[in-house]
Amino acid sequence: MEKSGRLYVFIGVLVLVGVIFTVRLFFLQIVDTSNYYKAQSYGSNEIVIHPSRGTIVDRNGKLMVFNDAIYDLMVVPEKAKNFDKAYLCRELGIDTAEFNKRLKKASRYNIKEPAVIYKSLSKELYTRMQEILYQFPAFYIETKIDRRYNINGAAHLLGYMGEVSEKQLKEDKYYRPGDIKGISGIEKAYEIYLRGKKGRKVVLVDKFSKQQGSFAGGKFDSLPIPGQNIVSAIDMDLQQFGEELLKNKIGSIVAIEPATGEVLAIVNSPNYDPNLLVGQQRDKNFNSLLLDPRKPLFNRALKSPYPPGSTFKTVQALIGLNEGVLHSYTKYPCRGGYHMGSITVGCHPHASPLELERSIAQSCNAYYCNVYRSIIDNPKYSSVQDGYTQWTKYLNSFSLGMKTGIDLPEESKGIVKQSQYFEKIFGKNWRSSNVISLSIGQGEVGLTPLQMANVSATIANRGFYYTPHVVRSIGDNNFVPAEFKVKHRTMVAPEFFDTVVAGMAKVTQPGGTAWRCSIEGIDICGKTGTAQNPHGDHHSLFIAFAPRDNPKIAICVVVENGGAGAAYAAPIACLMIERYLATDKTQPSKKPDMLKRMLEANLAGAAIYQLPGKDPAPAAGTKDTTAKKKPAPAALPVKKK
Amino acid sequence: MEEKIHIDWLTVILYIIIVIFGAMNIYSANSSVENAFLFDFSREYGKQFIWIGISAAIVFLILLTDFKFFNFSSYGIYAIVIGMLMVLLATGSFERGAQAWFRIGSFKLQPSEFAKYATALALAKFLGGFDVKFEGKKNILICFGIIFLPMALTLLQNDTGSALVFASFILVLYREGLSGWWLILGVYLALIFVLTILLPSLYIIGTLLILAVGFIYFFRKQKQLIVLGIVVFAASSFFILSLDFVFAKLLQPHQQQRILVTLNQDVDQYYTKKAKEFSIFKVEKKHVDKKNASKRDYSYNVRQSKISIGAGRWWGNGFNNGTQTKAKLVPEQHTDFIFCTIGEEYGFVGSTAFLLVYLLMIGRIFYLAERQKNIFSRVFGYSTGSIIFFHFFINIGMALGVLPVIGIPLPFMSYGGSSLISFSMLLFTFLKLDANRVNEISRLY
Ligand SMILES: [Zn+2]
Repeated sequence: MEKSGRLYVFIGVLVLVGVIFTVRLFFLQIVDTSNYYKAQSYGSNEIVIHPSRGTIVDRNGKLMVFNDAIYDLMVVPEKAKNFDKAYLCRELGIDTAEFNKRLKKASRYNIKEPAVIYKSLSKELYTRMQEILYQFPAFYIETKIDRRYNINGAAHLLGYMGEVSEKQLKEDKYYRPGDIKGISGIEKAYEIYLRGKKGRKVVLVDKFSKQQGSFAGGKFDSLPIPGQNIVSAIDMDLQQFGEELLKNKIGSIVAIEPATGEVLAIVNSPNYDPNLLVGQQRDKNFNSLLLDPRKPLFNRALKSPYPPGSTFKTVQALIGLNEGVLHSYTKYPCRGGYHMGSITVGCHPHASPLELERSIAQSCNAYYCNVYRSIIDNPKYSSVQDGYTQWTKYLNSFSLGMKTGIDLPEESKGIVKQSQYFEKIFGKNWRSSNVISLSIGQGEVGLTPLQMANVSATIANRGFYYTPHVVRSIGDNNFVPAEFKVKHRTMVAPEFFDTVVAGMAKVTQPGGTAWRCSIEGIDICGKTGTAQNPHGDHHSLFIAFAPRDNPKIAICVVVENGGAGAAYAAPIACLMIERYLATDKTQPSKKPDMLKRMLEANLAGAAIYQLPGKDPAPAAGTKDTTAKKKPAPAALPVKKK
Repeated sequence: MEEKIHIDWLTVILYIIIVIFGAMNIYSANSSVENAFLFDFSREYGKQFIWIGISAAIVFLILLTDFKFFNFSSYGIYAIVIGMLMVLLATGSFERGAQAWFRIGSFKLQPSEFAKYATALALAKFLGGFDVKFEGKKNILICFGIIFLPMALTLLQNDTGSALVFASFILVLYREGLSGWWLILGVYLALIFVLTILLPSLYIIGTLLILAVGFIYFFRKQKQLIVLGIVVFAASSFFILSLDFVFAKLLQPHQQQRILVTLNQDVDQYYTKKAKEFSIFKVEKKHVDKKNASKRDYSYNVRQSKISIGAGRWWGNGFNNGTQTKAKLVPEQHTDFIFCTIGEEYGFVGSTAFLLVYLLMIGRIFYLAERQKNIFSRVFGYSTGSIIFFHFFINIGMALGVLPVIGIPLPFMSYGGSSLISFSMLLFTFLKLDANRVNEISRLY
């Protein structure tokens, strides 16, 4: 047959079709990987199982922070098409405009990624949604963890949780839109330990989003790994006691265990109730806290540098001793202050001349003007500028003008100026007289309460400190980060500390500036400070540690507009020390009057309205009565309208 | 029966491989993850085993039947099937918008599947008749008549896919003497059709004009070729200009849809684009909305199919492990889109191996057809190969997104009793005829 050759045309066509299909297959399966990735997102739904977040207990094992389940309504924006929007909005109780806004927000990051569309469903709404959600395949409920607090305080320390930002979403693929993470405090600093690891369950879904069972026999499923529990160094009792004492005052307290660097308490006032920043009300409450003129979100203890005032004299003495320009027997006269040309630094009346220990106990300004000048005008340095630079190095070794490295975010390094700073103001050849106020901790110096507490701990340790830390150990194996165990030595040799300690011991003894605050049976070594404040009354400062030997607690108290150090800061510090050292916390204070006076004092209203005045703070009693008449600012932002 | 059955075992083995592989894929596409009892007859994969059983029985019967029966009764079978199609058209039992069924108990019979078998028999019978050649107007007209009658009846049932399959008989006629130019013309017109949709008509006509001028200049000394060039150009231009009209007016919206989706065209854009060129499209604006409603479905099918196949990568997810398959994301996956399961679960390696096996079987059928001594067997063999090839080409081309979505099954693979039984009948009737050829030879010596 002459047509039999056409068989080869048929075979040729078969080969051609085979080649075309193979090439096409190669393109679809090997070259174009987009189909592969699309497949990952279409055929299976990944259900995220949120782990329980680590709890936080205080140093005595008392639970401070724990978890509660919340239910978020999630949406996969890409699939949110052709559904009865009006019906869903009606059930959720939000209007369509709001719903559209949220949907748009949810789509902003990645339309394939599930995002929260309705946060923290109420019990009723949760039940209702479970009944109707089968009609809305793009929506589902995700169980998440939210925080609950056993404590009405320590807010700055513990920190709050918040929705992960878009920037963070890009940086850390662990998070998905609507996830909450630690935003401040321990929650932020220890986020990676606390958060654990999300589990996932990959379920097959058909095109109606009906689940078809576990994918690949659960090969890709994983159980969530719970976050690690954290043992905080905080003493919850002391923390709450400090918060009571600072109520209606502005200021902060930092207490450290000198032997370990463990932070026992960080108290700020004003503060807020951590329970405000959880759940559905978080955003609303956060905004009102942010707008509150008292700035309750501001962590003074770590971020607010105060002039250290006379508390700084302890450091000046130590530097002078180490530099060899000061000895325990060195005496300087004081005739109502220090006079140098046109400059006078005033001083209160006291016996004169004084040697070192009594200069601390009585806080003589003239003494330290002499000490400071002898340090920076020391002829062994070619110039006052070099002497000053050497002095700043000493300060740095006390972590002043530097961050202490505390395990909390957002720490201020305080204010310690470089010598060049003064060149701009006083010219190239500025003199020690230009910076004389630094000798008594005024002027161009600012220390955070944390730094001052750390100075106190360093003196308590006679020359070294451990980086202050609020966390004691992490997880079941009590992991302690190595940096917590590094001993930092100051540039001042240990042998010089005893004289200063002896001087600080006299502060709470008769003749000392804070002798009224002494508490029977406890050797409290302290130093008062009164920081000039251009905006109002002086700030009341006190640093202290106790007992004198083997100190258990070092503390710094700042009470803004509290006047002299002995007026508020010293009594509060001594009460804190008494409370901490007491084995039985229910035992009444040995200074019940002082305790009552401190608890009842109301300086917060005065702080805002009072005009700046030259006079030192009037007696606490008189002030209290005037202040109490003023309405106290609302404590809870929620109630504000 | 005295003669030994000299059946072509290679084809039988390939057939068995494909049928079993098909059942595996139906199982995979159709079973949910938890319940996986193989012989669950309430599920499609369970039913497919019943169909395989019935097919095996029918195959056995065919092999036992005297080969002369097929030649003898071909017109009768043809008449019965045509009658069935007419009855269906009159009573009208339509499902899935297209296919027409006969209900026998709980089983549904789809006569259009058997129409191909009957047409192949009738065509073979006619061309195999004494001294009949594919020559002369009368014979050619009768051949086309045999093909067009069931084709038209299927088309009237709105089953465009099945009707289109009858075009595969053109290949048979080509083997029997139809000029290859007709095939080239067909391909040429299809190409022009696709280009017309993709590009503005005037561009194509312009390009053709340049080609025609070049052609005429090259053969300027041969008058006949000059005339040919002019005629081809004029006819093409007319075809192009009329195509838009044909496309807009004569094709149904869902058909336009399928074609546009395959060519990656957006329906709205297409109409706005075309409306600028020709006023007739403006009138159609009304239809556009209706088309849009169904647009998603077609593009969805193709997109899901591509994703599913693409998910397989080199080695695939393995049997019963395709996420897309298991999630039932591809509509009609156990029937028309069964190739997606292969693509996803067996990857590039498995898919090409499958294509190879399948094409080997089709090639073997053509090879066997060519070696037939009598025209009846040869025409029937070529019909068998062409029909299976046409189904294969359209079905996989559709799954791969290179051809429009035309709902026709992949022979021996897709779920469905009528399909499996009719293709098995087709194949084994031919194998029976082929086996007889060997007997004939053995008788000769
Ligand atoms: Zn003095």
